Formats: sequence, structure tokens, C-alpha cells
Amino acid sequence: MKKTIYIFSIGEIKRKGNTLCLIKENGEKKYVPVSEISSLMIFGETTFNKRLLEFLSSNEITLHIFNHYGYYMGSFYPKTHYNSGFMTLKQCEHYLDYAKRLILARKFAEGSLRNMLRNVIYYHNRKGGLSSTIKFLEDASLKLREARTVEEVMAVEGQAKEQYYISFNTIIDDAEYHYEKRERMPPKSRLDALLSFGNSLLYVTVLSEIYKTHLDPRIGFLHATNYRKFSLNLDVAEVFKPIIVDRVIFTLTNKRMLDPSCYMEELGGVYLSEKGRKNFIEQYEDKLKQTISYERMRVSYQRMIRLELYKLEKHLIGEKEYEPFVTQW
Amino acid sequence: MFVIMVYDVGEERLPKVLSIGRRYLTWVQNSVFEGEISDANFIRLKDNLSKVIDKKYDAITFYILRTTAYLKKENLGVIKGESTTII
Repeated sequence: MKKTIYIFSIGEIKRKGNTLCLIKENGEKKYVPVSEISSLMIFGETTFNKRLLEFLSSNEITLHIFNHYGYYMGSFYPKTHYNSGFMTLKQCEHYLDYAKRLILARKFAEGSLRNMLRNVIYYHNRKGGLSSTIKFLEDASLKLREARTVEEVMAVEGQAKEQYYISFNTIIDDAEYHYEKRERMPPKSRLDALLSFGNSLLYVTVLSEIYKTHLDPRIGFLHATNYRKFSLNLDVAEVFKPIIVDRVIFTLTNKRMLDPSCYMEELGGVYLSEKGRKNFIEQYEDKLKQTISYERMRVSYQRMIRLELYKLEKHLIGEKEYEPFVTQW
Repeated sequence: MFVIMVYDVGEERLPKVLSIGRRYLTWVQNSVFEGEISDANFIRLKDNLSKVIDKKYDAITFYILRTTAYLKKENLGVIKGESTTII
């Protein structure tokens, strides 16, 4: 499996000897094997030139940039190598036909809900006290079926998520991570900082996977397509947030792997510091590599994301109806 | 799969072998590379190498592990290079 490389160092990224080379501030050179990379995530202050972008493009490597606070800023999305007018048309058709769009929007929300439910049930069996959340999430699944507009679907999903986040107070032992209200821009609490960072990592992971399929990331179904953003990756990420991002957060907090130096307070918000981000990424990468059995195969979560996209392709061309991935435990 | 590549080649061909190795694997020590590699890229790597080496004189050995589950690595002294995804 091709790897994602996270760059925190300050320096210059160059094409050198037909491979990638990172020249650090102190002149130290670090070569990265170009043929085993799928994407680059840049957190540090680096410089690079057009030659590098050309090289990345010919090697089909996507480059993603994050700012000082760990917010996603943008991507260099190379000329798509799997261009398919047919698939784009099908995607548009499913967006423009409201009934078809609603079906897909509902499926994504359903996947998200059911995976949240799995997490809550797991911790209910271990710690108890979450039966009201379970009930709420089950009711929300029923409500989802009655939703007549995409906005309603989003509202149901939003309410469910609110309840689900409240259950974090039971799941996470540490009082430092008390949940009251989800706040973004800027994140106000440590939990907000973890959620924001984790979700933006997942959006980018899904975007990189979309690049390897015929799908167009600009046309989403649950999240409306607009003039400036990728939205399909947000849709697919909804399904995986509870099983990837949230579980990473549970591990990090319950095993006390983060200390106060992992956070920084700036501009009236709480953000992960470089150390915190590295810790998070280590766990996140482990999670993506973790394998589960799926249809008698051992499949990593990263691969699961791609399979999800293939299922979506099949739905769009009318071969097989899309069913969101729901974890077994 | 995970591959450890060790090579012993004539001085004049060393830079070529080094630069091919860097495209596919991570440099760990003089004349040693390691890293995760796909089957297809492994064939490419061997093909590229066989074009530059002198088969009567040079030696390249690959230690191939299907997974890193049974691999345990120990170091003495300095760590010159390692394969990490966070740099």
C-alpha cells in the first residue's frame, strides 16, 4: 500500500535524482522513495517549485497543505488520470435528479448514524449509562427514512451527532475533555481541537482516495455542491468519522497519550501543537492500516474507504445499490 | 512486502545504484536500503538495477519479508536513516 508522508520540517522539497528530496534547514538531506508515496501532507514551512509539482503530477501524488493551526488550506490535485466523462455525467445525473440525490444523502447519513451507534453500544457494554443515547440514535435512524429533503436529512444527522458528542462525557474518562457544545472556527476546547484536526485529516485522506477512482470530488450529494469546495469527500468521510477519527480520539484520551504540551492556545481558540499533531497522526495512521475482515478478506480501513468509493461508482452506473459500510463491532 | 536490499558494486556504478534505490526504498546505511514496496515496483526496481550493474562483478541481495510482523530491528550506535512517514 502506498504511503502518505507528513512533513513537519522546515526546508525545501525538491525533485532530485528522479525522487523526492527534503533539504532541512540545517542542510540535512532526506530522500523519500517517490514510487511508494500516494500523497504528501505539508504542515511545516517548506518551499518548492513548479518542477516539483510537475514531478508530483507525473507520479500521481496529491499534495495537501495545512496552515499554522492545522487547518486544511488546499491541495495540488494533479491532472486527474482516471478521467471519465461517463462517470461525471452519471454523478451529475444523481445530483440533479432530486429523488436520486436524496437516496444517496440518506445513505451517507445512515452510515454515519449506524457507525456512531456501534461506538456507543460498545462503550455502553463496557461502562453502561448510555442507553438513552442508543435510544436517541435508533429513533434518528427511523426519522431519517421519513426525511423528505436533504436539509431534513442533515438536520436529523446534526441532532444525532449532538447527542452522540454528549455521550463522549461517559466514554472519555478524562475530565479535561468535557463536552458541552461543539465549536469550530476557532475550536474552544481540547475535544474540539481533536475533532477538528481529525476530521480535516479524514477529509484529505478521502480526497486522496477519490483521486484514485473515476469519481469527481466536486459533486457531493449530502453536502451541496457549490462554487468553491470539494464536497464528495465530505459525504464519504461522514461514514468513517465515528470509526476512524472518534476511535483515535478515544484511544488518545483514555490511554492518556496527550499532555498539556500537546495543545496551544492562540487567537482565542485551542489548537493541537506540533507534538500533539504528530501524536494524533501516529495513531491515525495506525488506525488506517488496521485490518478488519470484510467479506472473507482482510481489509485495512484505508482500503475500506476506496471500496466505499467503488460501491458508490456501482450505484451511479446503476449496477448495484449503494449500502454504506457499517462496522461489525 | 518489506524488502531489505544490500549491495556490493564497483565504485563507478555506486551512484547509479544509489539513485535507483532512493526512488523505491529508504536509505538506511551505506549500501543498505529497506522499505515497504509493491510487487510491481519490486520488479521495476530489479529491472532498473540489472540495467546498470555488471553482472560478472557486482552483487545485490534482497531479503524479502511478506509482512513486518516477524521483523525486529535493533540498532547499535547512530541511526543514519530510517523509514518513517512523519518527517
